Amino acid sequence: MGTSEQADDFIPAGLSSLGIEADEVELAVIAAAHQLFWPAIGELLALDTGDVKPERCPDLSKAPS
Amino acid sequence: MRALDLTLREQAAAVAAGDVDPAELLDATLDRIEQRNPALNAVVETFPERSREMLAAAPEGPLRGIPIVVKDEWPLPWRAQRFGAAELFEPTAPAESGPYRALRDAGAVIVGVGNMHELGAGSTGNISVYGPARNPWNTELCPGGSSSGPASAVAGRLVAGAVGADGLGSVRFPAAYCGLTGLKPTFGRSAMEGHHMAAMTTMIVSGPLCADAADCRLLGSALYGETLAAGDPSALRIGVVRDAVSEDVTAEVREACETAIESLRAATGGEVREIALPDLDHSVLAGILIINTESLGGTTPERLNSLHPDISPINRGVIKYRMLLPAAAVAKAQRLRTLMRHRLAALFEEVDVIAWPTVPAPAPLLEAPIVELPSGTHTADQANVRGAALANLTGIPAISVPVGLSGERLPIALQLQAAWGRDELLLDAAEALEQANERRWVEAVPPLAEAEPTEA
Repeated sequence: MGTSEQADDFIPAGLSSLGIEADEVELAVIAAAHQLFWPAIGELLALDTGDVKPERCPDLSKAPS
Repeated sequence: MRALDLTLREQAAAVAAGDVDPAELLDATLDRIEQRNPALNAVVETFPERSREMLAAAPEGPLRGIPIVVKDEWPLPWRAQRFGAAELFEPTAPAESGPYRALRDAGAVIVGVGNMHELGAGSTGNISVYGPARNPWNTELCPGGSSSGPASAVAGRLVAGAVGADGLGSVRFPAAYCGLTGLKPTFGRSAMEGHHMAAMTTMIVSGPLCADAADCRLLGSALYGETLAAGDPSALRIGVVRDAVSEDVTAEVREACETAIESLRAATGGEVREIALPDLDHSVLAGILIINTESLGGTTPERLNSLHPDISPINRGVIKYRMLLPAAAVAKAQRLRTLMRHRLAALFEEVDVIAWPTVPAPAPLLEAPIVELPSGTHTADQANVRGAALANLTGIPAISVPVGLSGERLPIALQLQAAWGRDELLLDAAEALEQANERRWVEAVPPLAEAEPTEA
């Protein structure tokens, strides 16, 4: 199933489950955003970062310690 | 030359020497805003009496009497920020924000509030509750966002310096589109107090937009609360990445940036090294995910169901879509942030700066902000963020420097990024680059600013 078909189900179901209302224009925007971001989100989730040691409270003003 | 058309540092020196009366400079600035702003919509509000009060109380600071525009992203003691939108989620009120205090203590005069892309959520500036700001190089084109008004105001020579904010490129994009120098500081170095997201953001910083690096150094020093001392960028090691960020750009942008990199190398007696930066594309998404979710703590479905009707449809949709982003992806984005920080720390042992085009194409039309790249047609937002997100994700400083004009006489810009805390090196390198190209690009004036010299 492609991102577009998934969006047909996922977006209304997701919004509805959270009690969020959206009109047709908003739904079209959300569908476009979903098509743009969802494949990349899938790729990000598939990225193996298991070897990366998490930074505890990273100080973004400095290089990682 | 009239005082209004001097650089920021020249204005400051002239006022300090008694050669320019700051009260006259303020009046002339207000006059110029009145004349030119209708074409630019860069400044959304002036407050002459407040500005005159600031001038009357101005200390003998490095910016004494110098008019500055501040983006609609911070409160002032007499005005709450609107963030370019009909409403904000976070409560706002008039207040002494960090940038306000920094400017006041340096003796500057806040002369107006700069327009911005609605909710800071765009690289073009084409959406705003005030209507879009316009690009002085061509008023049919995007000025860049989200600090659209500050950039338009400086490029249009309404003022010599402005304060913007950069959460995902929002100082660098408008600097690039408008032919200015824009500095994104190391995270945490510049004044942020009073920003409605200051307590929760790990991405946004305030930063200066000026004609050139020396002016950014002066205004930046005020925002940092410390002197950004000049240094020697000799033997600069310049890292370049052979990736979409430097190759999926227009031919003119590629040529201008490659020429600039070679000029910088030659001017500093340095070297250019090819470096690898894997997962750059993932880091862009990571930055987008983090900045779009770190403000969600104060949001409820009920609140989203009562959004102000004057918030643009695109942002109403995007705001609601944020609620559907998977938490696992945000957690993964944080892990990737750590990975990229470690990779950059290792790279900055090998190179001093990393260079690539700030934006892949010159400013697009306000009515259709899309760009044509070798890979195809993209929205400007989609294309621009590729080169900007890394600095916000990791906290490193970055600067956008004008390095050419396209065949249509639109600015082209190179971005330099350095290690944490090396903001001064970026200014040094930018100045070396300016000198190497005989200041052609920082002194290029848009058509609108060439018009009638008047007043002061």
